[in-house]
Amino acid sequence: MSSDVPLLSMRGITKRFAAVEALVGVDLDVHAHEVVALVGDNGAGKSTLAKMVSGVLAPDAGFIEIAGEQVTIPTPTAARGLGIATVFQDLALCENLDVTSNLFLGRELRLGASRDDSRMEQIARQVLRDLNSRIPSVRSPLSSLSAGQRQSVAIARTLIGSPRIVVLDEPTAALSVAQTAEVLVHIERLRDLGLGVILISHNMTDVRAVSDRIVVLRHGRNNGTFDAAAVSHETVLAAITGATSAELTPRSLPPLSPLLR
Amino acid sequence: MTTDTNLAPAAPPGSKPRVPLSQRMQGLGGNARQYGIFGALVVIVLLFQVLTDGKLLLANNVAALFQQNAYVMILAIGMVMVIVAGHIDLSVGSVVAFVGGIVAVTMRDFDMPWVVAILIGLAVGGVVGAWQGFWVAYVGIPAFIVTLAGMLVFRGLALVIVGETVAGLPSQFIAISKGSLPNFLGFASNMDVVTLLIGALAIVAIVVSQLRARSSLRKHELYVEPLGAFVAKLALIAIGIGILTVILSFSAGGTPIVLVIVGVLVVAYTFLMGRTVFGRHIYAIGGNRLAAGLSGVNTRRVDFWIFVNMGVLAGAAAIVTTARAGAAIAAAGQNFELDAIAACFIGGAAVTGGIGRISGAIVGALIMGVLNMGLSIMSVDPSWQMAIKGLVLLLAVAFDLINKRRAGTQ
Repeated sequence: MSSDVPLLSMRGITKRFAAVEALVGVDLDVHAHEVVALVGDNGAGKSTLAKMVSGVLAPDAGFIEIAGEQVTIPTPTAARGLGIATVFQDLALCENLDVTSNLFLGRELRLGASRDDSRMEQIARQVLRDLNSRIPSVRSPLSSLSAGQRQSVAIARTLIGSPRIVVLDEPTAALSVAQTAEVLVHIERLRDLGLGVILISHNMTDVRAVSDRIVVLRHGRNNGTFDAAAVSHETVLAAITGATSAELTPRSLPPLSPLLR
Repeated sequence: MTTDTNLAPAAPPGSKPRVPLSQRMQGLGGNARQYGIFGALVVIVLLFQVLTDGKLLLANNVAALFQQNAYVMILAIGMVMVIVAGHIDLSVGSVVAFVGGIVAVTMRDFDMPWVVAILIGLAVGGVVGAWQGFWVAYVGIPAFIVTLAGMLVFRGLALVIVGETVAGLPSQFIAISKGSLPNFLGFASNMDVVTLLIGALAIVAIVVSQLRARSSLRKHELYVEPLGAFVAKLALIAIGIGILTVILSFSAGGTPIVLVIVGVLVVAYTFLMGRTVFGRHIYAIGGNRLAAGLSGVNTRRVDFWIFVNMGVLAGAAAIVTTARAGAAIAAAGQNFELDAIAACFIGGAAVTGGIGRISGAIVGALIMGVLNMGLSIMSVDPSWQMAIKGLVLLLAVAFDLINKRRAGTQ
């Protein structure tokens, strides 16, 4: 399932916002061909950690290695240069532009002084086909697409420029059941393509459906890493909430997900 | 792809066979909406042609239409870029007076050749734009405030430079706005051959470039519009330019020099906005500034250069305005910013940014120009002209909004 040297390795990551300790000494490994779910309650530091991988925030302490080499990731552009692609929680897409333009935003292909629109459109179609995405046309403006289709575009975007690591921050939060299923299929496609995927989600059903490993954060600290195939709901929930699994009966669970049985 | 050319777009292998018409129209980048503005211009022209008993389209009136409105078109080109990026520029009228003063003083008091004065004018415009762009892009002050300040600052500086009217400018300079291309090829049954030649070249250039774009799309197996629509579009463009050319060739001077200037600017900026990475980034910033930034677009740099560009174009408008007046006055350019902004909004730009085209802004400027000229020929009182223009602006935007809402609820 995973190779020896992790694609991404974070060690002792610490981040403070004024007096608040968002992350304290957090470790995270992601291998190729692996979906790592990053779970935790609100404010556990999941998004903060993801933002460091995507170059939006810089850690105060700790280091990041990509394929065994220590790196700094000062900007989103630098992250992309290192082969890290991110789907942000608040969909970073432009509604007035069409699908192709959004896929290539910030890394347009050039042909002399102008853009190479034909080639970008060809690649856009290829990428959407790779994902088995159901977008009517790569020339549709984003404003005409459904929430699920937009999420498909956001995920397809990560494939432009052949990344090694994809970070997905709550990709299914605003989606219907059918749309969620489609996005989960996309995530599996990313793994099949050999990428390392970091999936941040509140939804334990989604997490268990696609992830290989589950990393739990609680109050900005590591609170357990589990094999997704072997671990029980209760164990993960206990790690998230800080309760011992014996205390948790299904009825007393916090309403983490309506899909939870 | 060598099948029957009468077929609707040949679907590329492996893609979905048919795309709904509505989506295809959207896919064309709102072309349908563009055709709507052109249609409105044609209707207004025909309306005033009737109301003025055919005086509107007299050759000399058409030439004057361009000479009188060149400044709006030049400013609207820059303004539409500013508006698409989600900003506004209220200072361009004052900048026109300021730069106009500098250009005139350079020629009269410092005895510089007119060409040098023009270059200085454009450069000063660029510096003014850089000043405002700095505050907007790198300090983060809203453009409304920065350019409101600029409106006062540069009007004040214009008053300092142009204490009294600076007249007595070289005739070559004045010819920029009042002159026409020399008709050195003579006349063919009263028609200026140079004008006819330019018109013919323009038609050929458009047809060739459209055909090349189409064949490139085909080569890459991408969607092309139906052949019938394509031919109809080209035919309408050719007929439109043809009519304009023939009318202008009967005018006293032939092709106004400002029309050539505006034409070159329109072609250059349509390319910039439509085909370059910079243009794409302007639209992206206007659509979702945060997303553009996260995607790696250098939003500050784009903002900065948009304002530098607006400044240079304001400089160009200053040159045209000063040449037309034959003198620099401190009160020049009053309300020019409003003319340019109105042209953009009539031409379909969105107040919220992200939407707008060079061609739309130019057509918007022409609609205002035709209204001006038509109402003047009918000797409508200037006060009423102003009121009518205001209503047209309001109705144009309201019509657009209602259309969009209806499309949205479907």
